[in-house]
Amino acid sequence: MTAADPPLRLRGVTVRFGGRPALQDVDLEVARGQFVVLAGPNGSGKTTLLRAALGFLDPDAGSVALFGDDVRELPVIERARRVAWVPQEETPRDDVPLFDYVLYGRYAHLGWLEGEGATDRAAAQTALESVGLGDRAEDGILSVSGGERQRAILARALVQEAPLVLLDEPTTHLDIAHQLDLLDRVRSLVRDRNVTVVAALHDLNLAARYADRIVVLSRGRRVADGPPAAVISEELLARVWGVVADLRRDPRTGAPYLLPHHLVPTSPTAPGTMLGRGPVHVVGGGGSGAPYLRALSEAGYRVTAGGLHLLDSDLEAAESLGALTAVEVPFAPIGEEVRARLRTLLASATAVVVAPFPVGPSNLPNLEEVAGQLGRIPILLVRRTPGPVWDFTGGRAEALVERLRRGGAREVAGVDEVLATLAALATPRPSSTPTPAQ
Amino acid sequence: MGLSTPPAAPAPARRTVPLAWVVVGVLVAVGILSAGVAAYDITRPPSTPGSVTLTDDLGRQVTVPYDPAHVAVLGPSIMDSMYRLGLRSHVVGVDCYAPSFGGLSSDYSSDQVQLWNLSSSMCIQTEPTFDIEELLALGPQLVLATTIVSVGAVEQISLTYHIPVVMLQPATLTGVLLDEQLLEKIFGASSSAPALEAEIQSAITQAAALQTNLTNAGTPFPTVLLTYSTDSNGYWTFGPGTFGQSLIELASGASISANSTLPYPELAGEQVLGTDPEYVVYGTGFGLNESYYAQAPFWSQLTATQDGRAVGMDSNDFTEPDPTMILVGLPLLISILHPGTSA
Amino acid sequence: MGGLSAAPGAVPRTPGRRRWVLVALLAAIGAGVFLSPVLGTYSIAPETVLRILLHQVSGGALYPNPCAGAPVPVSGCAGLTEIVWDARLSEVMLAVIVGAALGISGGTLQGVFRNPLADPFLLGLSSGGTVGAAVVVVFRVGVSEQNLLLPLFAFVGAVATGGVILVAARSRFGSVETLLLTGVALSSFLSSVLSLMLLYNPTGSLQVDQWLLGNLGALDWTQDGIAFGVVLISGTLLATYGRELNLLQLGPDVAQSLGVDSRKVRVRLLLLASVTTAAAVAFTGIIGFVGLVSPHVVRRVAGSDYRVVLPGSALVGAGFLLGARDIALLAFPGTLLPIGIFTSFAGAPFFAYLLYRRRRLSTMGGS
Repeated sequence: MTAADPPLRLRGVTVRFGGRPALQDVDLEVARGQFVVLAGPNGSGKTTLLRAALGFLDPDAGSVALFGDDVRELPVIERARRVAWVPQEETPRDDVPLFDYVLYGRYAHLGWLEGEGATDRAAAQTALESVGLGDRAEDGILSVSGGERQRAILARALVQEAPLVLLDEPTTHLDIAHQLDLLDRVRSLVRDRNVTVVAALHDLNLAARYADRIVVLSRGRRVADGPPAAVISEELLARVWGVVADLRRDPRTGAPYLLPHHLVPTSPTAPGTMLGRGPVHVVGGGGSGAPYLRALSEAGYRVTAGGLHLLDSDLEAAESLGALTAVEVPFAPIGEEVRARLRTLLASATAVVVAPFPVGPSNLPNLEEVAGQLGRIPILLVRRTPGPVWDFTGGRAEALVERLRRGGAREVAGVDEVLATLAALATPRPSSTPTPAQ
Repeated sequence: MGLSTPPAAPAPARRTVPLAWVVVGVLVAVGILSAGVAAYDITRPPSTPGSVTLTDDLGRQVTVPYDPAHVAVLGPSIMDSMYRLGLRSHVVGVDCYAPSFGGLSSDYSSDQVQLWNLSSSMCIQTEPTFDIEELLALGPQLVLATTIVSVGAVEQISLTYHIPVVMLQPATLTGVLLDEQLLEKIFGASSSAPALEAEIQSAITQAAALQTNLTNAGTPFPTVLLTYSTDSNGYWTFGPGTFGQSLIELASGASISANSTLPYPELAGEQVLGTDPEYVVYGTGFGLNESYYAQAPFWSQLTATQDGRAVGMDSNDFTEPDPTMILVGLPLLISILHPGTSA
Repeated sequence: MGGLSAAPGAVPRTPGRRRWVLVALLAAIGAGVFLSPVLGTYSIAPETVLRILLHQVSGGALYPNPCAGAPVPVSGCAGLTEIVWDARLSEVMLAVIVGAALGISGGTLQGVFRNPLADPFLLGLSSGGTVGAAVVVVFRVGVSEQNLLLPLFAFVGAVATGGVILVAARSRFGSVETLLLTGVALSSFLSSVLSLMLLYNPTGSLQVDQWLLGNLGALDWTQDGIAFGVVLISGTLLATYGRELNLLQLGPDVAQSLGVDSRKVRVRLLLLASVTTAAAVAFTGIIGFVGLVSPHVVRRVAGSDYRVVLPGSALVGAGFLLGARDIALLAFPGTLLPIGIFTSFAGAPFFAYLLYRRRRLSTMGGS
């Protein structure tokens, strides 16, 4: 164990339970003084990784090293001196007073038959105070609330004085105030005492706020690793968790945060067709886009929609189908931010369907952005029924539509033709940007 | 946060051995010492005073005093011998059940108590556990015991308190004879052993003679069930290798349990009904009588019962391997199985 | 967050731990050992008993004629001395030794299995010991030899059975549940073996029944000495594992994360507990309830810290068994009851009382 050894290093770790792989060929190196958060859906392997780090299980392949030494070769008591564990839950048998409970953490530092000394007891009291339980030292572990129990367990981990602390969903039973408090303390532990922390957290937003580094696991593999700003994205949430969300930035901390909306609907894939290769974007408004959104969704395509205004019925339809959308406030012209978002949606799309929507100055930018996609992806223009006026922009909308027509957009009559055309576009690949991963 | 002092300096090195280590060390040392001394003590040979050396029924070599004045008898079969040998006056204590739960009358029938002039002040508790105190108070110089006394108790009496114990537990009828000879060796002239031995020998010879006659005449031995207890499952009887079996054979009977796998088997009701013995002899006394056996499975369907060949016999006459079994039980059994022959 | 309730460095004292009760119990046992020989099946006046005791203890200096003025049996004062000193006192000492052994083993097993209903015989020790004893009885092994063969075979039988389970404990299937099930299965198997053996020798079954009922008598100082020695060694070693047992209560994973090698410690504890129990009951036969009830009493009185529970259970067990012996003699004068009957008789209602009185969050409540 030297000063240069990383607190935790996993190399090619594979763990199988029965036939099911819980971790697959995972590499991870945690540097000193880092606050790393393990994120991932249930069953992604976070707990398994922590257990492997603690030496609770023998990996089927690969090695786990604590401060340079293979964890399975270290005697159990030495492991306790290097790494402390705050598990998700504990079921103690007896109503042990909190003070004694925390004092248990001193075991690794005491000799055979050596009693706890004044230093040990002082450390326990201080640890209790530092988690806000200083005046509850006499209360029994079974008599306190779940949150208080969790804090007592954290106090016990502190008293263990290990340079690496692993936490498994420590905020599970805590109310919002205590969640913040606990994570604040953990962070100051990292900053002030140079303790290395690896914590598995459910809440991505909390992770984004506190972590120096987020490691995302999905189905036992490491799929993302880096600072929160780099890792957290809507795409990641949809891909790994299957949740549709909006990404925002916390104005106070600058950290990204996600507003979840709904689940990503499962979509079938069929090789050789457009299905499953990416979403189809529908530009519409005022109810014109809804039939196309529905038909495409039913046919199995993922759909996105925008720019739409709040209260628009097309928006309702899009959301009920689980589509990502670009949304503007009602009656306002589509602003820069929404345009940027629309651009992002279009960039991910594999085709665009322009529904016959009435165009005014507030939603003209929709057509402008679609025009920007000419040549990159197929654009399907739904023919408008002659008669009612639809251009309220003094001719600019018509000009754009004409430009689209000449630029290669296909004209289609209605829903059936849209589906047929898309089906016929067997394996086209957008010319410049690669298709985003599913 | 964390410790109030930085976790830098390790605790000062311990110079003196902690108190706890000393305590543990002392306790372990005392333990080793205690066990060692005791083990050494055990390996030293025991000393029992006496001048007569013999081998008892369990193969033990025992040295006993000659003609001891005070003897403890633990087993009704031995009491029978002592009485018949005229040695009743030597007996100071007999076996009993726990005094609060039956005491003397659990082991000895009222006839026996009267005949042998026993009293509860002679009680030495042998069951459910052996109690040494009364024995020590009575201070016998010899203990005669059957196997109702546990191995541990025997060793306690002989090795701890240096009172010699002779185990008398004959397995055959001839064994009974050998026991009388053993007692003669111990008590010498004060016993009327020769007379008793002659009686026993004569009874055995007579029975053997009948056996020979019947065999020569080609008469088959009557089949018989000799049972001493029963329950809802069947009948308890004697299997091969037991003195009960010897008794039946010597009485010229054919036991239906002669081929059992166990020494003291319980024959199922169906088994007995199927074999349908010619005679059923059941043990009475100690609360057992005919109405008790009448509740046994298939009792009324047995031919023997219906034909009046189910006969009761005092349990004391055939459940204890003693002179009474040979002098009373054997002739009685012969007269039951072979009506008309003189005992 | 949270104010300081005490000055830095001050140690909070935990109330509700009446450990002085255990010290008082120790004194009571000491007195009990001295006074219990007054009780016995053969009636001797208490003053005579005490005089005899003092005479023996002082090597003859005190009371040169202890039986003066008292009714003396045929065997004389020597006989009375034998009764009081050799028979009763060694029985009393054995009660203390065996009670302590059963108590501390029971406490250990309740800790290892994290189950308040565990008792020292959970690992099939009772069946193993009984089969060992039965082998000596049924096959009449060495009847004429020194009086250690029966306890030796019983001890080996008990420890061997425990050993089988320990082998399972060291394997990868060594979860607590597996151990329990293996113990139960082994017990059943051995019980049938025992029944089969006894069919061949019904008189042997009488003796084995005696063994199963537990018996404090029929022993002497040398056997006491061996029992004492073995129990003292293994019991002391057991008591050193108090802290590890505390940590094991948190669950094997948490204990491991705090530095306790759960599997190794469990095996060691079970081995020591098996030896302790086997050494005790090898001489007396199976005595129930002592090992089950004693830890509960200690926990109720002095808290759940195993550094206190283990030695405390030894004390309570010793007191319990000694008390049971005395009460049995008072209740049934002149009769020596198999002590196992009496501990069950007294223990069962007492245990029911403990269950009835437990508070919601007491030692037996788990989340």
